[in-house]
Amino acid sequence: MTVDLKPTLLPLGDRALLVRYAETLSDDANRAAIALARAFAADPIPGVGEIAPGLVSVLLRATDGADLGAIRGEVMLRLGAPLPDVKGRSHVVEIDFDGEDTGEVAATLGLTRADFIARHGARPLRVLATGFAPGFVYCGFHDEDLVLPRREAIRPMVPAGTVLFAAGQTAIAATPIRTGWHVVGRTRFQNFDPLRSPPTRLAAGDEVQFRSAA
Amino acid sequence: MTAVLITRAGPLATLQDAGRFGMLAQGISASGPMERGGFAAAGVLLPQAGHTAIEFTTAGLAFRAEGSLRVGCAGGQFSLAINGKAREWPAQLRLDEGDEVEITPGPAGNYGYLRFDREIDVPPVLGSRATNLTVGLGGYKGRALRAGDRLALGTAGAPAAPAREPAADGPIRVLWGLHADLFDAKARNDFATVGFIVSTGLDRMGVRLTDPGQIFRTQRRLSLVSDAIVPGDIQILGDGTPIVLMRDHQPTGGYPRIATVVDADLDRFAQMRPGTEVRFRPVTLEHAR
Repeated sequence: MTVDLKPTLLPLGDRALLVRYAETLSDDANRAAIALARAFAADPIPGVGEIAPGLVSVLLRATDGADLGAIRGEVMLRLGAPLPDVKGRSHVVEIDFDGEDTGEVAATLGLTRADFIARHGARPLRVLATGFAPGFVYCGFHDEDLVLPRREAIRPMVPAGTVLFAAGQTAIAATPIRTGWHVVGRTRFQNFDPLRSPPTRLAAGDEVQFRSAA
Repeated sequence: MTAVLITRAGPLATLQDAGRFGMLAQGISASGPMERGGFAAAGVLLPQAGHTAIEFTTAGLAFRAEGSLRVGCAGGQFSLAINGKAREWPAQLRLDEGDEVEITPGPAGNYGYLRFDREIDVPPVLGSRATNLTVGLGGYKGRALRAGDRLALGTAGAPAAPAREPAADGPIRVLWGLHADLFDAKARNDFATVGFIVSTGLDRMGVRLTDPGQIFRTQRRLSLVSDAIVPGDIQILGDGTPIVLMRDHQPTGGYPRIATVVDADLDRFAQMRPGTEVRFRPVTLEHAR
């Protein structure tokens, strides 16, 4: 893939580096971060103990004793290379759209509940990143007219399987969390099982088709 | 079977090994000891040690030996008594069946460590026995220890990795953080010159600081895209409160981060008690060792 984004290489403390493609979330920056993480995972950099793609950046954690300056030099050299095309796996996730906020979200968007559900699953979304909590995935992007800001108030613990909606994205809580996102439903799809390896089923770059369970 | 029966535990006593590394892409931070030096020192006190320690706080800990066992005790400065008889800290103990060990707060430190001559027999989760309290993962049933918990001691330990040289005294060294350029010059200058106070809001996730100069009070709120967090990141909450993120940190976050504590100084910071004044000194990557 080719992108016009210029990555920035930043130290994150003295034991990690962050390659950041943008300061705001965009489809291009996200695709670039995922592709770079795949490229580095396929051709490991000496001294890098861990690679984690985020929404617009990639974390590289140095192993104990590794020289961060040497890693930085190697990363700089590699950033000029073209990024691979990422073809993730495809998943279907069924949702019961019976969340506390589903009606309000639909009304705010000027849609009936049925129309909201149809628009929500109109096409597959990409897994943008895993973060915030174990197995918590951000999926995007919905059409621009489905974009809602987060709620003002934080909700106390919502259970694993809660389907969240805000900022043009749908997220799935895989463990109990507090959230400022709109609760639009729940799913039986479990994206975190500590007894499995790897413990998550969805990876950044995968495709998810949301479907109404009803 | 040889075991340790917990007879008293503070609310944040947990099992910790070196950490659960390699799981950030799954949304799991590594956990591990708050003070790696004390964790290592407890192991080095024994000819062979299990990889997993009991980490306890200023609330202390008490336990009874079930069978004969050896214990390395280190980290911070705690008061120690065996069957009511006071002992020095740190200590290497040989315990017999029924011996009662009582640990109470001493003059310094937030965290202490006990390591045994055998491995604590709890199942590894995702390659580690470290407890992540935020998630309820690993350790003893994913939770803090309580009175009545019995920790069985299993396979023999191995010679422990030595503690690294403790970092020097003085200001806590930091590198400017991911969002340092979003803070104005005055805020950055104040951050590097004024002192903060370690507050009582401190746990394995993070340490809240009191900011007597209120240097971040007028900082405008920012909406930032979430990026990876590392232990030692200093983020500024919406109300201006600085918080230093520790071993059980969230894997990603969207609050602005002004600086990151250098790795070698984070353990010393973790042992600073509430009320302690802490100063931060920005250094370059070359001076972070």
